[in-house]
Amino acid sequence: MDLTNSLQKLAGYRPKKTPKSKETYKKGLVLLRNGGFAKQGDEGWESLEKLTLAALDQGDIAVADECLQLIVNKFPSSPRVDVLQGIRMEATEPSEVSLKFYEELLEADPTNAAIWRRKAHVLRQMGKIDKSVQELSEMLDTFYTDVEGWLELADAYASCQQYTYALQSLSHALLLAPQNPFYFVQFAETAYLAGDIPLALKMFLVTVDMTDDEDGPVPPQDSIPTGLTLRAWYGVKLCTNKLITEPRSMSSSASNTLAPTTAALSSIDELSTERLRTAYLNMKGESPPKTDRELITILATIIQ
Amino acid sequence: MPSSAVSLYLDPQIRDWVLFPITVVMILVGVLRHYVVLLLQSSPKKQMRAAIREQRALIRAQILRTTSARSPIPPTFYQSISQHLSQAFTNGTYLKDGPPKSDAPSVPPNPLTDPSQMDGMMAGMKTQMVMMVPQMIIMGWINFFFQGFVLIKLPFPLTLGFKSMLQRGIETPDMDVRWVSSLSWYFLNFFGLNGLYRLILGSDNSADSSRDMTTPFAAAAAAPQPPQAQDFNKLFKAERDNLEFAEGLYSWVGKDIETTILHKYGRLPPDTLR
Repeated sequence: MDLTNSLQKLAGYRPKKTPKSKETYKKGLVLLRNGGFAKQGDEGWESLEKLTLAALDQGDIAVADECLQLIVNKFPSSPRVDVLQGIRMEATEPSEVSLKFYEELLEADPTNAAIWRRKAHVLRQMGKIDKSVQELSEMLDTFYTDVEGWLELADAYASCQQYTYALQSLSHALLLAPQNPFYFVQFAETAYLAGDIPLALKMFLVTVDMTDDEDGPVPPQDSIPTGLTLRAWYGVKLCTNKLITEPRSMSSSASNTLAPTTAALSSIDELSTERLRTAYLNMKGESPPKTDRELITILATIIQ
Repeated sequence: MPSSAVSLYLDPQIRDWVLFPITVVMILVGVLRHYVVLLLQSSPKKQMRAAIREQRALIRAQILRTTSARSPIPPTFYQSISQHLSQAFTNGTYLKDGPPKSDAPSVPPNPLTDPSQMDGMMAGMKTQMVMMVPQMIIMGWINFFFQGFVLIKLPFPLTLGFKSMLQRGIETPDMDVRWVSSLSWYFLNFFGLNGLYRLILGSDNSADSSRDMTTPFAAAAAAPQPPQAQDFNKLFKAERDNLEFAEGLYSWVGKDIETTILHKYGRLPPDTLR
C-alpha cells in the first residue's frame, strides 16, 4: 500500500467497534506479546499500525499506546504517525486538545491532507458542522482528487438536509470514480431525498445498467437481482411509484431532468415490480404480496 | 603453452598484500559511498499549498473532460462545474500569486535565480563528487604503489584482443593474455562489483559507480527534478478552450437510460433500437 492510500485510509478512520477489528485485535495482541511484528520486517510495522487502530476501536488504550510507542520510536517524524497519534488522542482526550494538535501540525505543514481531514472530522464530532464543512471544502479545493473527502463532505451536507450541496459533492466523487456503482446509488438516493425524483430514477437505472450481470449464463430478464442491483431496482420502484401516484413530482426536478414518457414510465414500473418479485421469491421462497405498497414495505426491511 | 606457465611464478605475498586489499578497498568504498549518498540526499522540498493548488487545478478540468462523452453526472451539474472552472481559469483564481496584472509582461522565471531549483542541481553535483573523488583516489593509489604488478592468472585462455584490457600498465608484447595487471584488476572490479553491492545493500543502492560513469549526468537527471517553470496562466487559458470543446461533446450516461434498460430486459421490440 502506498503512502497516499494509507494516509487516505487513516484520514477517514472512525471507530466502529466492528467484529473485524476485534479479530485483528485478538490476533495482533498475540503477535505483539511474542514479538512477532519485529520478525516481519517492513510489513510488521503496517500490521502494528492496524493493531493500534483495532485496539483503539476495541477501547484497549493501553495496548494502543504500547504499539504507538513502538511506531513512534521507529518513525519519529512521519506524517502517517502524526495522524495515528492524532487518532489515539481523539480516543481519550477532549476534542479541543486533538483539534489543537491537528492545528499545530497543519501550521507546520499546510500540505498534509490527511491531517486536514482529521481536523474536519474532529470539528464535526464537536458539532461545528459549518466549520467542518468549510475546512473540508477548502481542503478539496487544493486536493481535488480525494474521493473519500468528497463523500465525507456530501455526508456532512446530507446530515443537515442540504441535499443540493450534497449532490454537488457527490457529483465530484462520481467524476473521480465513474466506475463505482456505489457512488451512483448514493447519488440517486440523495437525489430522492432532495425531491428530485426524475433524476433519482435515472441514476438508479444507470446503477442497474452498471451492476446487472450482462455476461452471465442467463439473459438479464431471467437473472435474479441481488445486492446492489436489488437496491437499485428497489429505488427504481420507489421512484416510479412516486411519479405515477404524484404526477406533480414529474416536473419538480431541480436539475431540469426530463421524466420518461408515461408509456416508458409504466413499463419501467412493471419491469421493476417484476424484478423485485423475482428477488422476493428467491429470498423468501414464497409468493410475494400482491399490492405494490406491501411489496415495498417488506423489501425495505429485507434490504436493510 | 607449458613454458610460459612455468616461466612466471607469482609470489603469494602479492595475492595477500595487493590483490585482496584492492578488492576489499573497492568494496568498502562502494559501501561507504552508498551511505554518504544517503546522507547527502536532501528530502524533496515541501511544496507550498498554493503551488500544489495551482498545479492540480488543471487536473480538475482534465478529470471533468475525460468522461465528458459519457459523463456520469447530469447536465446541470456538469455545466455548473465546467463553467465554474473556466470562469476561475479566466480570472486566474487558481494562480499561485493571485490573479495576474493585466499589463505586467509574463516572463517565465529563470531557473537559476529560483533557490528551490538550485537545490536540485546542487544535489546532483554532490552525488557526482562523492562518486568521482574516491575512484580517482583509488586509481592514483594503485598507480602509485602497484604499477606494473601482475596480480593473477585467469584459469582460461583468451585471445590476444584482450591484452589491452587485461594488461593495462604493462608493456610486454609477449606475455600470455591470461595474466592480469593491477590496473586492469581495478577496472574489472570497477565494472563488476555491482552484483555484489546488490547482494549487500539491496537493489536500489548507490554504490555502483560504473553506472554513473557510463552516463556522466545520469545522477543529475535521475534526481527528482522540480517541474519546469511553467506559465500556468497560459495553460489555464488553453484549458478553457478544451473545456468548451468537451462541453460540446458532453452527453449524460443517463440520458436515454430507460430505453436502454427496457431493451436489455426485452420490454421493447428490437426494431425501435436506435
